[in-house]
Amino acid sequence: MVNPLIFIHAICAELGLFAFLWVLVEMLNPTETRIARAQMAATFGFAFLIFAWLVGGFYYVEIYGLHIKPIIKASDAKWVHSIVMEVKEHVFLFLPILATLTAALLYKYDEELLENRDARLSIVLLAGLIFVLGFSIAGMGALISSGYRFALMAGLA
Amino acid sequence: MNSKALTRAATVSIALIAAATIGSELSAAFKQLLSSIGGHHWIGKSVLSVVVFGLLYLVFSKISDRRFTLKDTGLLIGTVIISGLAILGFYIMHA
Repeated sequence: MVNPLIFIHAICAELGLFAFLWVLVEMLNPTETRIARAQMAATFGFAFLIFAWLVGGFYYVEIYGLHIKPIIKASDAKWVHSIVMEVKEHVFLFLPILATLTAALLYKYDEELLENRDARLSIVLLAGLIFVLGFSIAGMGALISSGYRFALMAGLA
Repeated sequence: MNSKALTRAATVSIALIAAATIGSELSAAFKQLLSSIGGHHWIGKSVLSVVVFGLLYLVFSKISDRRFTLKDTGLLIGTVIISGLAILGFYIMHA
């Protein structure tokens, strides 16, 4: 059975990423109402990513490292840990920083975003980066799950 | 809030996360130092990323925020791409 923490981690992270996609869409053609919605979306997105960080971190240290990693590393798919998981766990650390910055810019510039093209485009680019980077990381998560299933099917557990 | 300072703090923090990631694989002593922060090197890097981001913001907050430009954001995005590729490249070469 899939550990519920992995499910919570993935759902929270994906909700956070979609919140930043929402920010991007609102900022393409902003109005006062859309800026207010984007600020709300960024706040929720930030909170979901932080929660995903805490839950995922607990799972990684307490469960993955002790029970999943040794099985993957003993299989022919050991690269799933030594490349994919290593990249995932470290590149993930970029996301809370980018989410903090994006939300802070939205609140700092507020209605000035109607006129300030550089600040608005910065938010669009950063929200897009969070979405693309985050879903690349989600793809890595799916690959790690496949690697674990491969190791189980090979009879290593 | 100083947006220029926050963007620069984010840029340098992300570059430092990449450097700490690679550095901890190359130096057992550094990995041990990171582990001593929270019991696991990844927790050490997580805590360090938050602390460094906050400290760098305080350091950069002295710079003027009068003209926040796309150049600042471009530099950050470039740093994210290079840092991500550096981490990926390192683990591919050392797998």
